[in-house]
Amino acid sequence: MTHDTQSACIVLIEDDEGHARLIEKNIRRSGATNDIIPFTDGTSALAYLFGPDGSGRASMGRALLILLDLNLPDMTGIDILARLKANPCTKRFPVVVLTTTDDRQEIQRCYDLGANVYITKPVNYESFAAAIRKLELLFSVMQIPEAVA
Amino acid sequence: MHTFSTTVTRRALLMLIAAALALLGIVATSGWLADSTRQFSGSVSRMTSLRVAAGTLLSQLQDAEIGQRGYLLTEDRQYLKPYETATTAVDATIARLHDLAGGNTDALRIVDRLAVLAAAKREELAQTIALMEAGRRDEALAVVRTGRGMMLMDDARRSLADLITPADAQLDTQLSTLIGQARASGWVANLGGLFIVLVVGGAVWIAFRYAQDLMRAQSAIQALNDTLEQRVSERTKELQRANDEIQRFAYIVSHDLRAPLVNVMGFTGEFEAGLASVRAHLDRQPADGDAAAASEARRAVAEDMPEAIGFIRASTSKMDRLINAILALSRQGGRTLNPEPVAMRALLESVVASFRHQASEQHCTIDIEGHLPVLVSDRLALEQVFGNLLDNAIKYLDPARTGRIAIRGRVEEDGLVVFDVADNGRGIPPQDHERIFELFRRSGVQDRPGEGIGLAYVRTLIRRLQGEVAVESVPGQGSVFRISLPGSLAQLSETHLHDA
Repeated sequence: MTHDTQSACIVLIEDDEGHARLIEKNIRRSGATNDIIPFTDGTSALAYLFGPDGSGRASMGRALLILLDLNLPDMTGIDILARLKANPCTKRFPVVVLTTTDDRQEIQRCYDLGANVYITKPVNYESFAAAIRKLELLFSVMQIPEAVA
Repeated sequence: MHTFSTTVTRRALLMLIAAALALLGIVATSGWLADSTRQFSGSVSRMTSLRVAAGTLLSQLQDAEIGQRGYLLTEDRQYLKPYETATTAVDATIARLHDLAGGNTDALRIVDRLAVLAAAKREELAQTIALMEAGRRDEALAVVRTGRGMMLMDDARRSLADLITPADAQLDTQLSTLIGQARASGWVANLGGLFIVLVVGGAVWIAFRYAQDLMRAQSAIQALNDTLEQRVSERTKELQRANDEIQRFAYIVSHDLRAPLVNVMGFTGEFEAGLASVRAHLDRQPADGDAAAASEARRAVAEDMPEAIGFIRASTSKMDRLINAILALSRQGGRTLNPEPVAMRALLESVVASFRHQASEQHCTIDIEGHLPVLVSDRLALEQVFGNLLDNAIKYLDPARTGRIAIRGRVEEDGLVVFDVADNGRGIPPQDHERIFELFRRSGVQDRPGEGIGLAYVRTLIRRLQGEVAVESVPGQGSVFRISLPGSLAQLSETHLHDA
């Protein structure tokens, strides 16, 4: 069984509140009305995604789309990505890596670990806004699988 | 160590020379002793011959007398035989004595006297025998009774004793001298031998000690050698760590500087969008009431705020470019080089081809000249180096003259490959020759776009390729960028990079 994207939640893991606000504004501007659950550090995001026991069962039945920054104060987004894709309850959630780094090796690593989309945050705001809005286009066609055990 | 070895060699040599001199002394003394001994034995044999000859002469004279006496007693001529034999032999014996006396005048005098005595004796004997034969026996006996014959014999005995005694004495003297010499020679041989043993022993000891020192030094060198490799690799690792630290630092700085910039740009964009709606609203409002305040607000919205936003955008985009430059440099430092055979002519031709459009716009020619070998190096880095240099050469041509750019290659005697990228552009003043290789530094009139990154990038790349880059330039005439590269890129630093 799949949810359509309208009922999916967007998990935004981004330590820079300014960035988070700009992303949110542009998502809203593109017309998406999904709930956005923001986290500014890795630990609290992991606690939400994998539950207090860390098993991932907390995400069973959820339909999540994860926007992930790689540079977090307490861990790197790559660790979170690896854990998400390694856990059977979370591995099917689409993960969009959204970060300031455009290092080729970093990008390759993210795709190797199972990231669905990798977006570099352009300093040029118009490009940035356009990228986020295109992302919404992606959301609208994407089927978000419900996590299964 | 060097002076020590020469001192040792000199000392050992001096000792050996001393030993050789001592040996020569011993040989000379022995030779002297042998010579004396030979002389002495010659004297002894002459003396013996003299004694024998003297004894022979005496016995011959006695034989002659015995023969005479027997004849006088018996009148039998049979008894005259010893007399006749002896009288004929006496002359030969005297001649022999004469020979043996040699150069000794005393001895010759005695021998002459003996000859006279012998002649007198023979005469006396002959006289008595002649009287006897004539039958005058009494007269003959009377001659005997005169005692002259006996007296002559006694004289002869005395003379012979005179001849032998001094010779004996001389022999004794010679013998004692010889014994003295033998003793001296023995001493010389013993002392010299002892000296030689000491000197040779000393030389051997010095050589032994020197050999020991050499062995000790050799083992010290061996130990140093063994640890050298380890120390080099330790230092390399340290350097590599420091370098990695700088890389990480540059990466983190550029990344963390970029994040706030995204906010500045983003919210400036938001601000601009908000401003646009305010402006639209103001435009729709009729210009009434507080006209002065309204027109001030309109001017702020239409002119001041867009100007401010323009400056914010220009500054942030410049900052973004600078951060990107640092990021690119730090990434270049971390990139793993991939040495492979690179045919330089083909590489340069493809780089030049990528600038053909730019060059034809500027009406400039680009030539590739000289000996362009195959290098074992990183292809991408080489392309970037020549790309940056050509880009600069075209960018800073002098519009007053037709642009000419040449890339020349040659192989030095030491195996280094040198490339010159020469242009006839505007040139670089001498005080900027070093500065232009620094990040964000530029030279001359700032009328071309750029951040001052290209040459810093070139230098970083060339250093990673284990080469050097330098510039020669005369303002108003042109510049030559000279790159020297090893024919083959050593992989050592790369393996350490991976170890670290």
